[in-house]
Amino acid sequence: MPKPLLSVEGVEAGYDDVRVLKSCSLEVRGGEFVALVGPNGAGKSTLLKTITGLLPVKAGTIRLDGERTDGLPPYAIAARGVALIPEGRRLFAPLTVLENLELGAFLPRAESQQEETLRLIFQLFPTLREKVSVPAQVLSGGEQQMLALARGLMARPRLLCLDDPFLGLARAVTNRFCQAIREIMAEGMTILAAGQHVRQLLRLANRAYLLEEGRVVLSGPGAELLKDERLRRSLIELIPGADQTMR
Amino acid sequence: MPRRGWIGTSLVAAALLLFPPLSGFHPYYLYLVSTALLFGTLATSWNLLAYAGQISFGHAAFFGLGGYTAALVSLSGLSPWLALALGGAVGASGAAAIGMASARLSGASLALGTLAYTEIWRGIAHNWTAVSGGGAGLIGIPPLTPLPWLPLDLARSRTGSYYLALAFLLLVIAVFWGILRSRLGLAFAAVREEEERASLLGVHPLPWKVLAFALSGFFSGLAGGLYVNMVRVVEPDLIFSHYFSILPLVMATFGGLGTLLGPALAALALYLASELLLHPYIPAFHQLPYALALIVVALYLPGGLAGLLPSPSPLPKRGEGETRHGAA
Repeated sequence: MPKPLLSVEGVEAGYDDVRVLKSCSLEVRGGEFVALVGPNGAGKSTLLKTITGLLPVKAGTIRLDGERTDGLPPYAIAARGVALIPEGRRLFAPLTVLENLELGAFLPRAESQQEETLRLIFQLFPTLREKVSVPAQVLSGGEQQMLALARGLMARPRLLCLDDPFLGLARAVTNRFCQAIREIMAEGMTILAAGQHVRQLLRLANRAYLLEEGRVVLSGPGAELLKDERLRRSLIELIPGADQTMR
Repeated sequence: MPRRGWIGTSLVAAALLLFPPLSGFHPYYLYLVSTALLFGTLATSWNLLAYAGQISFGHAAFFGLGGYTAALVSLSGLSPWLALALGGAVGASGAAAIGMASARLSGASLALGTLAYTEIWRGIAHNWTAVSGGGAGLIGIPPLTPLPWLPLDLARSRTGSYYLALAFLLLVIAVFWGILRSRLGLAFAAVREEEERASLLGVHPLPWKVLAFALSGFFSGLAGGLYVNMVRVVEPDLIFSHYFSILPLVMATFGGLGTLLGPALAALALYLASELLLHPYIPAFHQLPYALALIVVALYLPGGLAGLLPSPSPLPKRGEGETRHGAA
């Protein structure tokens, strides 16, 4: 079996005195789409923030391609090829679409491929091409989400972490988005995506992890997890309306 | 910039180039406009730092470090030209030092930190008498020496320092213009908008912040050196005065934060209005234009003078009006 691209072992992390992740372990292999599902407060976002260096690791290790990255600052982890598309988009609002994209490709490795990546992005999202010189803040919600994903792609990351990529998107936009993600994966990118949209995520995913109270309680191929009784129970009991999301 | 903007700017530039012969090489007016040009350099370098999100209340420190360095070097017998260059270098180092020391500060606490920094240097200049001459300062600073390849007689006339001040202003504007079009400008903008997000994209905030301080300090130090060369004396209370911190801030804000030419044009307009129009008639209130400018910006012109132009400024304010404005 090949060495995993990302391996998280026994990680504890959280905010100040609140320990959100309690001995959390998982693996992502190169070329995989791994979904991270679980009820609100299970620690999905916390795990992504810890992997990208926004939150400190209190115990355990995180390895990227076998090298430890826990304890490194976010810019150093970004330089090793990890990109995060955070929840709620978080673009540079007054900067133009193109400036946001250029900032995505700030790292030298990404900058050398900037033209090529831009062409791919404009193919995936033709709307962005028409709005290159418009400030990000005047885009619609869906367009901003596209720009956030596109900015993450500009970095040509080895591992792209997505935090709730479908939050607040209309169904048509979500479908367009899933299509774009499939095309991106064909380019050989590895994706770790967390979110509430369990059904869409599990359909896209090769494998998935179910997180509950800061621990991995279940893992397996996405399609299998989708049928799993424990996952249904966990999400349906804990998230009001989750049975709708599941269907 | 719209066409009208270019025409206006070219007219101002032509007027500045032709001013010395037009004024009949009048020493007082040459001195006055030279000082206005130095304020333009200070305001533009203040704006360059603000573009990276760092609001300084301490540019007098960089200006004064440049001034004292230029004075000490030229008094030691070395070339006054070298003295000016070293003034810029020491201004840059002094600015980089406070940039590094205040790495974790932002907003109001950064403003207070930089304000205190000027006071530290003023205290040192007052008390390190053996080097700085103490409160009495240093006098008899030698004038610039003529350069064989320059037609102007810099040693004797004020025309030389006038054109040098104009050259410094054009230089800092050219450098800022280049920054706005480069990766450097992108990094500065990212650090200004949000350091954490910048960091996620691989932009390590601290080196870029320190670089912005150093660049800003370099041009402020150059201006300080030339100022000392023009007035031929340097004293702690004269040069480490908050006057040289607050005026650039007011000028840059009035001209338009983050715009290329706004701060320089506002510096010329405000300084000349204050010294030429008000000083002769109501000396006690001649600084009124700065106060009025600040009030006007706060109440009516959030984008400064540049906000009046139809093109969106590179640093739009967040809010309804600007949003629609940008979409148009």
